[in-house]
Amino acid sequence: MYRRARRAQHKRARRGARGPAATTLGIVGELLLTLGILVLLYVVYVLWGTGIQTGRAQDELRERMVDAWSDPVAAGEAPVAAGEAPVDPAETEIGDGYALLRIPALGEDWEWVVVQGVELSDLARGPGHYEDTSDPGELGNVAIAAHRSGHGAPFADLDLVGIGDSVEVETAAGTWTYTIDEPARVIDPTDSWVVDPVPGQSAGTEPTERRITLTTCHPRYGSSQRMYVSGVLTDGVEI
Amino acid sequence: MYAWVWRHLPGPWPVRALIALVMAAAIVAVLMLWGFPWLEETFGLNDVTVG
Repeated sequence: MYRRARRAQHKRARRGARGPAATTLGIVGELLLTLGILVLLYVVYVLWGTGIQTGRAQDELRERMVDAWSDPVAAGEAPVAAGEAPVDPAETEIGDGYALLRIPALGEDWEWVVVQGVELSDLARGPGHYEDTSDPGELGNVAIAAHRSGHGAPFADLDLVGIGDSVEVETAAGTWTYTIDEPARVIDPTDSWVVDPVPGQSAGTEPTERRITLTTCHPRYGSSQRMYVSGVLTDGVEI
Repeated sequence: MYAWVWRHLPGPWPVRALIALVMAAAIVAVLMLWGFPWLEETFGLNDVTVG
């Protein structure tokens, strides 16, 4: 049996080619290998490549935002020229730096520039403020979304933020501290009520509280569900 | 497939190896800069917002 196989091999070697079945299998094998490499590359992209883009975007956003805040024109001490950055966070253009977000429970150095808007292109650059929700210090609900894996994963450990932890938001107009009173809960992607002015009540209900709500994905490396934490204003000028 | 590419690259083996490396790097760059961002956005693989 072995001898016959070897003879066949010799025959093929003399012809200098493999049989059609072996050739096809060879191509299928190469395609499968290629597919495996592509999947691994995608994982590298999500977990590491996107973080580089986001890190760069954050540096750029921070520089521009802090510049605008210290600019006398932006600070309202000089007449506003066309095209100047606004002081009022509510007037921030989609995709521009909106606020600084700090959550000491996630680390002393944990600070991110929040952009205005929650399209994927906005969230690729940092946490995003749902543009139709309140501004910091206002009655209602300041809603902010961020990635939990990839793109720097600002909210990677959002599930560790619990009752009593503080969330600081700084804009050109001041700094506000919120205290978490609802720890992480898992919800469905369609549960948009969590970012309503009064979470759990119909969208038209007049707010009496000043809240903040942070949303991210769940499970950490998927997006079949969402997770949120929520807190109430405990320090800062009430607007 | 890869053997076919190798046979069609010009020059001695070090030159071929270099060309092959450059080609692989170019493909990876295109995927990282355009391919994967498109994939992520189109299929909502990393959504974090509600509504």
